[in-house]
Amino acid sequence: MNDIQLPPIDYAALLPMLIVFGLACVGILAEAFVPRKHRFAVQATLTLAALIAGLVTVIINRDLEVTTIGGAVTIDGAGLFLQGIILVLGIVAFGLIAERRLERGGAFVANAAHAADSDGDKKQLNEAGATEIFPLTLFAIAGMMLFCVSGDLLTMFVALEVFSLPLYLMCGLARRRRLLSQESALKYFLLGAFASAFFLYGVALIYGYAGSVQLVAIKQSVLDSDKSGVLLAAGLALLAIGLLFKAAAVPFHVWTPDVYQGAPTPITALMAACVKAAAFGGLLRVFNVAFETTSWDWRPVITAVAMATMIVGSILAVTQTDIKRLLAYSSIANAGYLLVGVVSLGGAVGSSMFYLVAYGFSVLAAFGMVTLVRDADGEATHLSRWAGLGKGSPLFSAMFTIIMLGFAGIPLTSGFSSKFALFSSAWDANQSALVIVGVLSSVVLAFPYLKVVVLLWLNPPGDETPTVSVPGYLTRAVVGVGVLATIVLGVAPSWLLDMVNSAGTFLAK
Amino acid sequence: MSLTPYVPLVVLFGLATVFAVFSVTIGPYIGPRRINKAKLEAYECGIEPTPTPPGGSRFPVKFYLTAMLFIIFDIEIVFLYPWAVAFDSLGMFGFVEMLLFIVTVFVAYTYVWRRGGLDWD
Amino acid sequence: MNPALTGVLADGGVTTGEAVTFWILAPIALAGAIGMVLLRNAVHSALSLVLTMLSLGVFYVLQAGPFIGMVQIIVYTGAIMMLFLFVIMLVGRNTRDSLIEVLRGQRVAAILLGIGFAMLLGTGLARGIGSIPAVGLAEANVNGNVEGIAKLLFTRYIFAFEVTSALLITAAVGAMILAHVEKKPGEKMDQKVLSRARFEKGNYPGPKAGPGVFATSDSVATPALLPDGTFTERSVSKVVPARELTIAEARPKAVNGSKEYGAIK
Repeated sequence: MNDIQLPPIDYAALLPMLIVFGLACVGILAEAFVPRKHRFAVQATLTLAALIAGLVTVIINRDLEVTTIGGAVTIDGAGLFLQGIILVLGIVAFGLIAERRLERGGAFVANAAHAADSDGDKKQLNEAGATEIFPLTLFAIAGMMLFCVSGDLLTMFVALEVFSLPLYLMCGLARRRRLLSQESALKYFLLGAFASAFFLYGVALIYGYAGSVQLVAIKQSVLDSDKSGVLLAAGLALLAIGLLFKAAAVPFHVWTPDVYQGAPTPITALMAACVKAAAFGGLLRVFNVAFETTSWDWRPVITAVAMATMIVGSILAVTQTDIKRLLAYSSIANAGYLLVGVVSLGGAVGSSMFYLVAYGFSVLAAFGMVTLVRDADGEATHLSRWAGLGKGSPLFSAMFTIIMLGFAGIPLTSGFSSKFALFSSAWDANQSALVIVGVLSSVVLAFPYLKVVVLLWLNPPGDETPTVSVPGYLTRAVVGVGVLATIVLGVAPSWLLDMVNSAGTFLAK
Repeated sequence: MSLTPYVPLVVLFGLATVFAVFSVTIGPYIGPRRINKAKLEAYECGIEPTPTPPGGSRFPVKFYLTAMLFIIFDIEIVFLYPWAVAFDSLGMFGFVEMLLFIVTVFVAYTYVWRRGGLDWD
Repeated sequence: MNPALTGVLADGGVTTGEAVTFWILAPIALAGAIGMVLLRNAVHSALSLVLTMLSLGVFYVLQAGPFIGMVQIIVYTGAIMMLFLFVIMLVGRNTRDSLIEVLRGQRVAAILLGIGFAMLLGTGLARGIGSIPAVGLAEANVNGNVEGIAKLLFTRYIFAFEVTSALLITAAVGAMILAHVEKKPGEKMDQKVLSRARFEKGNYPGPKAGPGVFATSDSVATPALLPDGTFTERSVSKVVPARELTIAEARPKAVNGSKEYGAIK
């Protein structure tokens, strides 16, 4: 009796993910068999090759619109674009992760099993960092790619875990300030596990309502059903908690500053750029495909969350004294702006994706430059230490100023064009209240950025002012690309706007 | 009710018995014999008197690694269970799928083994 | 699974066997849960939880869900609870949480919010499920529950299933990174080297006398007495700090009034 049939699988559509997953497994095997001194070169090459091959296949697939494996994976214009964003930002973040010239052995600890500050830990201070980082990064990126194209909530949950687990781990692998790093990993892991549990409970309740976890089927059952919507509403609420946690929206944001501060800076950059793109990719897909027709139910709640996120993020950013925490609160506020795109539904999908690209490049450059300001103890992240850097390192300060102006939304930067595109599409979707809160909060948010700029240029350098390290070519490339993108997307954004708008929206059938 | 489905079970049980008896009896005959002073010693457990604080002590973290590895392969079993039950109706593709899964999980096993995670010392 | 039986269960009927098993196991499950919260020893708590988990496993099987029942027993009771015990032993089973609140009022707020959330969810579920008739159980279990799961797992959710292996790899790599200190070449001692070291001159290869053997006290710090009446320092671990006894401690215990027992310094 051969009565179970495999649904047709479109391997070409899955190829980008298969490549990244497959080469991640090869990376683990390389960890097992390649001698220690060659590991770094092999892993770095392998990782870059996987990301580029993934990107090339995504570009080849660009016109594909297909639902495969019985609806478990939906490859559509928006999904492919999000996969492309994640891969491009991943390639840029790879530059920071693979950088080994700023510090002997790179930003990651050689053997994390040594207790912090123990004898073993002191001995390994100058050893080369763990190369497991590379396959773990690949797993995380592959998980994010799957998260953006999941056609049902179960696949989405597995993808969520696949990209979260390596991140929890990598957060705890900093070479310096290891206790802070381990604390951040533990916090992220515990809170992330809670959020996953909420997500799963939500999926169960929605299944109770719709009898299916497929996004399209949920939409259909909402249209057809005359059942009480209590299960649907409760399920959606719990599901949203899981998703908003990853997106760092208020009130599920409390982990963000601690984790961003404690994690190794290259991983912080990866989280700020790629995870943000993946989390919003998932949010946009869930709300646009499955719950578009129930928008009357959830819109007020998500609107309130978006407003709270924008306000809390921008106000708390003002009070920060550590550059990594400042960027963390700024990433919370930016999550608020992106939620405006989620609330505005269909018309704002393109501008949300544009925003993700613009923000991703800028934030990668920002964290890349944070890794350059160092003293004997590693990165000097306290803002007081940054005073007067403009005197000694004008080029660095000029580039950081451009990024800060971009974050502040000054015209001719990508921050302005992306906010403008997002808010205007929200305005068209009649979300005027959100747009007003958004504009006001970005005015507040401009203050801390400009404070940093003033600090760099107008304050006299003190005795304690650290040096700006001469960057290796990788960090140089990351910062260069980030700053360039910030300017190009500000001066001439139309080509990318055309691209996101022609990428189309989510396939809902 | 026919008892035929249980025949393989009985055969398996017989094989297990034969194997156990065989290994125990053959050991002394074909095993290598090397004289070593340590072998003449009386066996006692508890090699070093380790101080135990009142109320028990802490395990070394090595045990954690063992426990985690056990759980990973335990979870693999969870997937093997429905696969084995539905094996007949799954056909070839089910076999390939499970083979792929097991090979992928064995990537983890290879890594752990090559990096010395299975060595106790 | 007998389709007729499944049908009965789907309609909400309860067979006698099910009722009897339920009434036997439900108090046990509850007792385990209460024990987990109330018992002072962390190991006992974990073992009570095992009891609850096992009872729940049987309940699942009883409710025509053999797969979830088996998973409950294999994974939860077998593996996860074992990991619980390991972690308790790693941390030290006498380690207690500090009861000092770092954030004021956090405990009260957590309890209130927890109760509030449970009530919200409970009433919501009661209202929501009350109005929805359960359908589709019989169709889902038509070839048996486990086969039904296999049918979904290996067809529609095949990608999620295969990707789970990435999760398992990450877990293994994570455990290795966090808990395994890799030996450098040359640091590794094989059995030969260890055995040689054991029989080197000056090292006593035999098992050492346990502390407290023939001694006046069963403290781990009290050296054992050899047959000729001398102390053997080897019986005391070097890790135990040596200190002078106080006069009260050194005073001979009143055993048969003899004096020579008091010679311990």
